[in-house]
Amino acid sequence: MMPKLIKKIEFDKTISKWFKSYDVIAPVSSKEGIHFKRIKDPKEIKLDGNQNSIYPPKNVFLPQSEVLFTVKNDNYEMPDQAPRKRIVFGMRPCDARAVWLLDTIFNKADDLDLYWGKRREKALIISVGCASMCSNGFCDTVGSGPFGKDGSDILITELDDAYFVDPLTSAGEALIKSLPEADDTQGKNAKLIQKGSVIKEHQAADLPRIREKLYEAFNTSIWKDVSESCLGCGVCTYLCPTCFCFDIVDEIDRSERVRNWDTCMFRVYSAEASGHNPRPTKAERTRQRIMHKFAYWVDNEAASGCTGCGRCISQCPVNLDIREMVQEITSLKIQ
Amino acid sequence: MDDFSQVRKEAARILSEKIVDMVIGFKQGTIPLKSQPMFITSQEDTDKLILDGFCQNNLAVFLHDQPKDKRIGIICRACESRAVRALVIEHQVNRENLYLIGVPCMGILDWKKIQDAADGPVTNAQESGDQILLEIGDKKQVLIRNEFIVDSCRGCGHREPIDVDIQIGEISPIEMNADNLPQTWGESFKSKSADERFQLFTEETERCIRCYACREACPMCYCTECFVDHIAPRWSESMVTPGGTQAWHIIRAFHQTGRCVECGACERACPMDIKMVYLTDKLNDDMKKEYGFEVGENEEKQPPFATITLDDKNRFKY
Amino acid sequence: MDNLYEPIPMRIERIIQETDDASLRSFELSFMRDADEKAFFKAYNPGQFCQLSIFGKGEAPFGIASAAWEGKFVRFTVQNVGSFTDTIHHSRVGDSIGMRGPLGNGFPIQDWKGKDVVVIGGGCAFSTLYALTKHIMHADNRKEYGRIVVIYGARSSGLCLYKPDIKSWYQRPDMEIHQAIDVPEEGWDFHTGYVPDVVKDVAPSPKNSVAVVCGPPIMTKYTLPILVEIGFDAKDIFTSLEKKMKCGVGKCGRCNLGPKYICKDGPVFTLAELNELPLDL
Ligand SMILES: Cc1cc2nc3c(=O)[nH]c(=O)nc-3n(C[C@H](O)[C@H](O)[C@H](O)COP(=O)(O)OP(=O)(O)OC[C@H]3O[C@@H](n4cnc5c(N)ncnc54)[C@H](O)[C@@H]3O)c2cc1C
Ligand code: SF4
Ligand code: SF4
Ligand code: SF4
Ligand code: SF4
Ligand code: FES
Repeated sequence: MMPKLIKKIEFDKTISKWFKSYDVIAPVSSKEGIHFKRIKDPKEIKLDGNQNSIYPPKNVFLPQSEVLFTVKNDNYEMPDQAPRKRIVFGMRPCDARAVWLLDTIFNKADDLDLYWGKRREKALIISVGCASMCSNGFCDTVGSGPFGKDGSDILITELDDAYFVDPLTSAGEALIKSLPEADDTQGKNAKLIQKGSVIKEHQAADLPRIREKLYEAFNTSIWKDVSESCLGCGVCTYLCPTCFCFDIVDEIDRSERVRNWDTCMFRVYSAEASGHNPRPTKAERTRQRIMHKFAYWVDNEAASGCTGCGRCISQCPVNLDIREMVQEITSLKIQ
Repeated sequence: MDDFSQVRKEAARILSEKIVDMVIGFKQGTIPLKSQPMFITSQEDTDKLILDGFCQNNLAVFLHDQPKDKRIGIICRACESRAVRALVIEHQVNRENLYLIGVPCMGILDWKKIQDAADGPVTNAQESGDQILLEIGDKKQVLIRNEFIVDSCRGCGHREPIDVDIQIGEISPIEMNADNLPQTWGESFKSKSADERFQLFTEETERCIRCYACREACPMCYCTECFVDHIAPRWSESMVTPGGTQAWHIIRAFHQTGRCVECGACERACPMDIKMVYLTDKLNDDMKKEYGFEVGENEEKQPPFATITLDDKNRFKY
Repeated sequence: MDNLYEPIPMRIERIIQETDDASLRSFELSFMRDADEKAFFKAYNPGQFCQLSIFGKGEAPFGIASAAWEGKFVRFTVQNVGSFTDTIHHSRVGDSIGMRGPLGNGFPIQDWKGKDVVVIGGGCAFSTLYALTKHIMHADNRKEYGRIVVIYGARSSGLCLYKPDIKSWYQRPDMEIHQAIDVPEEGWDFHTGYVPDVVKDVAPSPKNSVAVVCGPPIMTKYTLPILVEIGFDAKDIFTSLEKKMKCGVGKCGRCNLGPKYICKDGPVFTLAELNELPLDL
C-alpha cells in the first residue's frame, strides 16, 4: 500500500473533509490533561508532545456506561447504535493495539458482542506514532512499540512540515485515496524517526518465562507483599486500555438494563450471594490483575495483555508500579 | 524535614524493642514526583524511610486493613494524627496499640501541576528549601515550592500533630499560603453565586469516572459496604451519568460531615483532577458554626451527625 | 445477528416445592415463541445453565434441571438466598420471566457412550445431575451407557430434591441408587453420613467409568480425592463449577478461573483440567 502525505498547512483542510461523512474523535486539551472526544474543528486536536490521554480511548468502543436495553413490559429492546461512521484520529499505538486485543473478546464472528461490533464496524483508527516515548511507557518491551501497527487502519509519522500517512488496511487506504503520495526521501525520514523513537536500554520482555514464573508464584505470599499499599480503587484498571470487565445493572427508574465498567480490584467484584468471596483480600485481587495481563492473555492469545501504555503507573495513587511488581514476583524485567 | 535520620532511628528503635510489629511510612517512588507507602517489619528497612512533599497519601488509611490488636507505628504529619484521633473516636482503631511518630509537614506538592510547569518529562525531582529542583533529561529547572503546594495544604490551620507518642523535628512557622498566590479553588468557589457554584460543581463532577480512588484514599471512608455498592435497594444511579456522579459526590460529602479531616488525600488520588475538598470543608464549617464541633479537636466527642441524644432539638421524621 | 445479552420471554408453567423448609423450589418455564423453543432444544445438552432475568432484579445463573425429552419446558431448581432468588420464589404460575441460554459447555455425554457413569451430587447442585440422569435413563438413551450409579446426599430427608422420581429410581433394575443424609433420622432406611464417606463405602468401580461430581464446594473438595484414591483417572472425573457471573457468555470477565471463563469454557471441567488451572475459587 502506497504511503501518502498530509502537508501541515493542509492538515486542517484534510481533517475537515472527513466531517461530512464521519464523526471525528481526537485528542483535545481538557481539565485533567489530554482527552479523546468528538471534535468539530481540527484546531481542537492536540498532538504535540508525547503525552497520551489519561482516560483511555477504549470507551469509543466500550463506553464506560451504556444502555444494553430499554425495557418495557418485559420486552428488551436494544437502542439504536451510532448511525454515523467514525474516525478515531490520533490514537497512540499502545491504545490501538489494545483495541486489537479486545477484538479477540468482543469481535469474534461466531460470538459477537453486538454493541462493540457495530461501533467497530463503522470506525477507522488513525494512529499517530510517538517520536519519543512517553515517560512511563514501555510499549516496545511488550510486543508493540511507539510505531506498532496492530489495530490501526492508518499509522501516521510526524515529519517536519508534513505527516507521513501509512495505510495498513484496505479501509484505511480507501480513506486517503485522494491524498498525494509520499516520496522516497519522506519515506526514509519517516523510517529514521520510527527507528529513533525506541529507548535503547529497553529489552523485549520474556513473556513465556514471566507467565511461567507467575504461575509458580500463584500460591505464595508474595502477592500480599506487593499489594500491601494497594487501595483497591479503579484507577489502574479503568484507565488500562485493555481492561474490559463490566457489570450489568438494572436501572429501574430509567427502565434500562445497562452495563458499566467494573474491575477485579474492587472488593465486591467477585463476592458471591452466599457471602463467599474467592478474592477476599487485595493480595488475590492484585494477583488477578497481574496474572490476567501477563499470564492469562499470554495463554489465550500468545500476547501480553499489557500494551505498555504506562497509565496505571502514572496514575496509581500509591505509585504501585506494574513493572516493579512483576519484577518482584518473577525476578524478570518487563522493561 | 532537615534531619530525617532521627525518625528512621526512632522507627528502628520501636521495632527492635518490640514496641510495635510494623511501622508505616513512605519510601522513594519508582518514578519522579512520586513516593510509595511502605510497611516495615524489619529494622534494616527503616533506612528506606523518607518524607517529602511528594508523599501524597494519608497513611492513616492503611490502618483500616490492619487487625485492631496489631501494634503499629505510624509516621504522622498533622493530618495523619488528626485522622488517627477521628478513627479512635469512631472506634475503628485501638489507640493503645498505635505508636505515633509526629513529624512536621511543609505542605504536599501537586505533582501534576509540577509536571505541567516543567519544560518536558521530569526525570528527577528534589526539594531544596523553598525550591523544587527538576531534571528534565540533561536540562535543569527550578520551581518555587510554595506555588505548587496543593490547595488543601495552603492555609492549613492545624500544623501541629496531635496526641503523638513522640514529636521529632520542629514545626516550621513558614507560611504556606503566600500572599502573591492566586486564590485557592475552594476560596474562589465560596465567593461565587449559587448558580455559578452549581455550574462549577457540575463541571467538576462530570469528569468523574467513579473509580472511587477518592474513597479508598480517604482515612475516614472505611465502611465495609459503601452506599454506592449496595444493590438492594440501590441508593444511587450506577452509571457514569450526571445523575450518578453528582449523587456520588453529594452523598460522599454528606457522609463526611464533621468527619473529614481536610487532608485532601481524596483530591490527590483522583486521576481526573476533580476538586472535592471544598464540599467537605463547607460542611465542616457548618458543623463548627451550628454545633461548635471541629474534627480531631476533642478526644471523646462524636461527630454531631453520628450521635443521637435524648434532648436533640429535632426528632427524626419518617 | 443475535444479541448475546437479550433474554427471551418465558412463562412460568409449574412451581414445585421441593423441600420441607420451602427454601428450594423448582420452576418449569415454557416458551412464548416457537423459534426460541426450537433454538433452545437444538443447542441444549445436560450440564448447561441459563441466565434467568427479572427486570429490576437483574439476572442470575441456574443449572438446567430437565431433560429434553420431558417436554417443551425448561426446569430450574432455585434456592432462596438473595434478592433475585427471593423474587422468583414469590412469583406465580403464569408470570413471565426472561431467559438466556442454554449457556456453557455441559457434560460431554457423547464421549461417555459405552461407559459406566457414576453420578455424585449434593444439595441443590444436584439439579443438572438430575437432568443428566433423566436423560441417560430414558429408553432411547439407556442402552448407550453401561452401569449407572447415583449417589445423592442432602443435609436431611426434608431437604432431598425430586423425591417422586428418586423413589421411582429404586424400582429400576438398570440403575443403582444411594441416598444419604448428614445425621441419622427416624425412618430413614438409606445411608447416613457425608457424601465423600458414602462414595468411599460404595466404592464404584473405576473400570471403563466416568464420575460426575456436583455439590457444595466442600463436598466436591473432599469427594474428588476419594475418586482418585479409588482409581478413577483425573480425565474421567467431571465436576461443574460456580462463580459469580454477570454476562454468562465470556465477555464481562467476572467468572474467570485462570485463563478460562467458567460460563463459557465450563461450567463442566475434568479434574485433569482443574489440576492445570490456578484455583481461584
Ligand atoms: C453456573 C451456575 C449454576 C447455578 N445453578 C444454580 C441452581 O441450579 N440453583 C440455584 O439455586 N442456584 C444456582 N446457582 C447460584 C445462583 O446463581 C445464585 O444463588 C444467585 O445468583 C443468587 O442471586 P440472588 O439475587 O438471590 O442473590 P443476591 O446476593 O441478592 O444477588 C446476587 C447477584 O444478583 C445481582 N443483582 C441483584 N440486584 C440486581 C439488579 N438490580 N441489577 C442487576 N443485578 C442485580 C447482583 O449482581 C448480585 O451479584 C448457580 C450459579 C452458577 C454460577
Ligand atoms: S491504582 Fe494503585 S491503589 Fe488503585 S487498585 Fe490499582 S494498584 Fe491499587
Ligand atoms: S497494565 Fe498498565 S501499562 Fe499495561 S496497558 Fe494496562 S494501564 Fe497500560
Ligand atoms: S485485569 Fe481485572 S479488570 Fe482488567 S480485564 Fe482483567 S479481570 Fe478485568
Ligand atoms: S477519584 Fe475522582 S474520578 Fe475517581 S470516583 Fe473519586 S472523584 Fe470520581
Ligand atoms: S459471566 Fe461474564 S465472563 Fe463469565
